Amino acid sequence: MTTATITRSLSFAGAPLSDWAFGIRVWVAIVVALAASFWLQLEAPASAALTVAILAAPTRGQALEKAGYRLMGTFIGVTAALAITAVFSQARDLLLAAFCAWIGLCVFAAGSLDGNRAYAAVLSGYTVALIAIQQIDSPQHVFESGVARGAAIAVGIAAVAVVNDLLAAPDSFPQLASQLAALHRRVRDYAKAVLRDRAIDAATAAGLLRDIAALRPEMTSLATESPSGSVRSAAARSTAVALVAEVYAARTLIALPATADPAEQLPTSAAVGRNDTDAGAGRPLSAPSSWASREFLRRDVEVRDGLATLNAGTRPRRAWRTPLYRSQRIAAAAGIRAALCLALASAFYVMAGWPAAEVSLSIVGLIIGLGTITPDPNGFTAVAFIGAPIAVILAGTLEFLILDGVNEFALLALALAPFVIGAGVLMTRPNRLLSALGRVNLFFILLLVGLSNPPSYDPQAFLFTSLFLCVAVALLLAAQILIPMPSIERLQGWIMASARRDFERELSGRDRHLAPEEAMFRDAARIGQIPVGGTSSRDSGVLAEALSYFDRAAAIRLCGASLARLAETSLSHLAAEAQTALAAQDTQRLRDLNLTLRDMAGAENGLVEEISGELALAAIAIDAATHAAAPVMESVS
Amino acid sequence: MHSFSELVIGDVFVAPFISYAVTALAILVAVRPILHLCRFGKLFSHPAVAELSLYVTILGLLTVAF
Repeated sequence: MTTATITRSLSFAGAPLSDWAFGIRVWVAIVVALAASFWLQLEAPASAALTVAILAAPTRGQALEKAGYRLMGTFIGVTAALAITAVFSQARDLLLAAFCAWIGLCVFAAGSLDGNRAYAAVLSGYTVALIAIQQIDSPQHVFESGVARGAAIAVGIAAVAVVNDLLAAPDSFPQLASQLAALHRRVRDYAKAVLRDRAIDAATAAGLLRDIAALRPEMTSLATESPSGSVRSAAARSTAVALVAEVYAARTLIALPATADPAEQLPTSAAVGRNDTDAGAGRPLSAPSSWASREFLRRDVEVRDGLATLNAGTRPRRAWRTPLYRSQRIAAAAGIRAALCLALASAFYVMAGWPAAEVSLSIVGLIIGLGTITPDPNGFTAVAFIGAPIAVILAGTLEFLILDGVNEFALLALALAPFVIGAGVLMTRPNRLLSALGRVNLFFILLLVGLSNPPSYDPQAFLFTSLFLCVAVALLLAAQILIPMPSIERLQGWIMASARRDFERELSGRDRHLAPEEAMFRDAARIGQIPVGGTSSRDSGVLAEALSYFDRAAAIRLCGASLARLAETSLSHLAAEAQTALAAQDTQRLRDLNLTLRDMAGAENGLVEEISGELALAAIAIDAATHAAAPVMESVS
Repeated sequence: MHSFSELVIGDVFVAPFISYAVTALAILVAVRPILHLCRFGKLFSHPAVAELSLYVTILGLLTVAF
């Protein structure tokens, strides 16, 4: 197996050189974007620099995909801004209500999507804030404002693309391949632990499934990276789906009856570690044990093939899709909460009657949008609350102490360097707080420093913008504390309700548009969405129940797919009977059918033998999962 | 020397360069599967720079030809 590893040997001031290279790339791209905007005499050169700050991603593929979605989101946002302004330009309160509803809708859409699609959704929301709300007193300028923003964004995107290409920004796929290879090692370690101890914590399996499903946005962003990007993306998706299937295959090993020493029954843990695909062959195994071990090793080979095709840039043998799971109820709750928070902030500004409060309100919309696409929106607002005063001090130092009235572009570029590169290096830190602070500071500094041609150096404008920024963040934090998120228990309840519903649909045979492996990935993504506050018994109970649905649904789907093949033979009556038994989760009947089929299977009939093994394994998996929806199921010993 | 004509969308004039840039991007995206088949990525030490150069070439040819 060939795996690409990223070596991080050289470092400077505590950060690897690759992080410094990233910071320098961001700075160069910002300088290029500003130079182009000034040269083209664009009306909003700051937007070009902010575009670079937003698109700052350590790899090329991520930046390019985000750039495409940024253009699309801006287009939708400008259209919505025009529509909202056209309809409500004479009625301020209605315009604000429509704006809140639009932000709520966009946050809901972002909650139903992932990766850069979610970013495009929130961008459509806060573009309205930046265009329609900032021009609330001069609606006739909304179109010009939208065009100016679109032009600046296009320049920013071009700057990022060219700088990333010329300064050899790393490709995403080696990093993704090493992440997938690391997950593969973890899955095999999990299988070894299953074979050795037969007592595995539910959180381990759930953590594995969560980490595999979390790579979905990175896998899709590979497509834009290079001519072979779409092929590599397909290879990465197939690898991830095979990894989930391998986790399931490892979990079936737990369910096998411990009638004998498992190390003798199954391919030994050492064999699993050696990639010995014949480890299960040629031994007197019982049918389910034999089938379980063969299945695990088959999945292991699929994962290794997938990794090899990803590294080689060739098309995978089987291209699996990676369907996304998102809870509509959670997304709707987030959308309603965002709309209410914005409505509270709007009401505050309307009552305060401050001049130029629209800038502050648009910043509230912006932070709501950017926070939505982080795992913890409240945490993001808190980081912004800490970061805003720091950014005010830094931007003030830059504008009035360092630059202090200079007009030369070269001096502006040089003066920006320490601030931008420093924030860029902070963004790449593994510490999430530092990383978020870096991103927020990069963004706020560019927002506060009056990037215009010629520069204004207006202390009053700076003070107002700084004040409005701090007020906006504080107000949003207060609103988010006042309108709390649904509790973790409630979120878990919603996800489990959807798991139950989908499982019942699976039993009724109505939901068969996905291949069994693809449906397994969707279930893994659902498990990844379950919020766990800590290591309480309730959390592990919820995870165990979710894994129980995962196991049973996977067993039924895999068995159902094989039975569909059997239905095309002369044994279709047995296939129909087995389908009915599966739908009823009648494991006794499944075992009887297993024996019937085993008696019928001759040496020449591989399909019947295979289905016989699958039926027995499905019966065992369903029994184990049904009896152990409590944490007990995870510790067979 | 030929004259450049603006693209007019609903009375909004779009600069000719924008039309060329977008068309060149569309052509590059359309050509990508062929580049993959030709093992374009393996031909160059820095495929990203080569691809950017290809884009600039297409853009230049479009500007000269149309």
